[in-house]
Amino acid sequence: MTPENLLHRLPSTQKCTFGCPVLDRCLGGGIPCNSITELVAESGCGKTQLCLQLALSAQLPPSLGGLSASSLYIHTEFSFPSRRLHQLSHAFITSHPRIFNNDPCDRIFVHAVYSADQLFDIMPKIESFLENMNAQLPVKLIVIDSIAALFRSEFENTPIELKRRSSLFFKISGKLKSLAKRFGLAVVVTNQVVDLMGHSEGMNGLKVGNLGSLVSSGRRVCPALGLAWANCVNSRLFLSRNEEVVGEENGSVDVSACGGGDFLPRQTRRRLHVVFAPHLPDSSCEFVIRREGVFGVER
Amino acid sequence: MRVASHSHRLDGSAGGCGTVNGAQTAWDLLHEEAMFPRITTSCEDLDNILGGGINCKEVTEIGGVPGIGKTQLGIQLAINVQIPVDYGGLGGKAIYIDTEGSFMVERALQIAEACIEDMSECGGLLRKDFQAFQLKMHPNNILENIFYFRVCSYTEQIALINYLDKFISEHKDVKIVIVDSVTFHFRQDFDDLALRTRLLSGMALKLMKLAKDFSLVVVLLNQVTTKYIDGSFQLTLALGDSWSHSCTNRVILYWNGNERYAYIDKSPSLRSASAPYSVTSKGIRNSASNCKRIKSGVVHLVISRVGHG
Repeated sequence: MTPENLLHRLPSTQKCTFGCPVLDRCLGGGIPCNSITELVAESGCGKTQLCLQLALSAQLPPSLGGLSASSLYIHTEFSFPSRRLHQLSHAFITSHPRIFNNDPCDRIFVHAVYSADQLFDIMPKIESFLENMNAQLPVKLIVIDSIAALFRSEFENTPIELKRRSSLFFKISGKLKSLAKRFGLAVVVTNQVVDLMGHSEGMNGLKVGNLGSLVSSGRRVCPALGLAWANCVNSRLFLSRNEEVVGEENGSVDVSACGGGDFLPRQTRRRLHVVFAPHLPDSSCEFVIRREGVFGVER
Repeated sequence: MRVASHSHRLDGSAGGCGTVNGAQTAWDLLHEEAMFPRITTSCEDLDNILGGGINCKEVTEIGGVPGIGKTQLGIQLAINVQIPVDYGGLGGKAIYIDTEGSFMVERALQIAEACIEDMSECGGLLRKDFQAFQLKMHPNNILENIFYFRVCSYTEQIALINYLDKFISEHKDVKIVIVDSVTFHFRQDFDDLALRTRLLSGMALKLMKLAKDFSLVVVLLNQVTTKYIDGSFQLTLALGDSWSHSCTNRVILYWNGNERYAYIDKSPSLRSASAPYSVTSKGIRNSASNCKRIKSGVVHLVISRVGHG
């Protein structure tokens, strides 16, 4: 047992770019390798889009912030969004014309998983898949979209079942982290939200991370799977979507003076927040979703 | 005046004299405390409730929710141990056992740079000491003085902790061992729960022995969990039942409104007290604001019910 030489890790942990400098800046360069990063959001906020985008930008060389790597995309709830992936990959090839000889979609390996037990059971298969990888573009990104779907219907709300569920969290997380360490992988998992009813009810209202409360679509929400799962990820990012009256944020419109603003034009504002991360301060950045992908906005 | 020794040294290799093996005079105990100073946390308020900093020859457990600053404090201590004694450190090296992959080298570098900067600002007094520190201490040197181990399973963790005895005998300048976090790999199902309890107690005893034998500071970072007691959910430190006797001191980190606080939950010598602290780009520091203390229900929940239930 020899200690690792930390100087070999300098100047910083390897990261996978999002393909957008604004998003990268908010997150210290992108998604870190050797770590599990969780994307939490309600449906339709862009979690899957971001994951697809990462699977493409992972193929970029390190000089452009990528990992020169393929990805393993594990989807659990819906069928894999191949049409959207193709759309994104066309935009991707256009902006990086000299990089790709082949279709970047070929470097994204897709697998469907339907239950938490199944996910744990296929870990050995994933491990040998990683071991026997093509050395030219090895897998260095694993996406699980979404982890919440694997757990939410399967377990009853009894103490024994919750304990079993919690134990599975740690088993799966422990195995993913071990693979992340062994192969230098970036692991991204997506998670859903549940509504917070009433005033900071019980443990769901417990403040975890930088934000006092997570708000999306005007509702207070909290990440699914509870405190136990929160202990299983290294970093948690929250994507929010809220309607704002156009002009409200810079004071050019006084909403109350307009009778509550029912007839005022609204726009959707999306933000990416760092809830907790060992290497990042409390920060957030606005983003938009376009046909070409997800892009940070600097205002 | 003779006082029965509080130490657990049974091998008679005690530094002090005494007619009864292991007994020490009060003078010896006082002298010993001066000989083994504490490590600063870089937050004055936190140091104050800790009696000056984290103590050596003891195991201190520090627990809290994700994002409260456990890893930040762990890294800060791994750096602060290297500060000369007169400035709140022990002039030694650190062993950092990372069980979760939370240690980020760029963050450690950032905290190390800030530490060197702060040292040069406090200037004056023992100029030759701190000038030597400044000359020797480039942030890369600080990183080199952290012996970093990454363990990926409970068996690796146990094997490593059993190996520390040998490692520290060969690296006598190690003055702190940090385990971040100590329970992560044990929170999966063990078919044999009695085995898990035995492994955890065995590990705890080993760490206590290391602390005493080598006069080390041992810091164990722990996660929190909820336990269903008397019809409601309460916040407790993970694996409480297997673990509760094993640490000398226990500190809980929690949120009070938007401020981070630390609370002494268990200690043979320190009174229960709380202190605010903050996590900044420079690391752990004093809390910036003097804002009103918000009394929220959750705070009461944390303080009154935290422990190993």
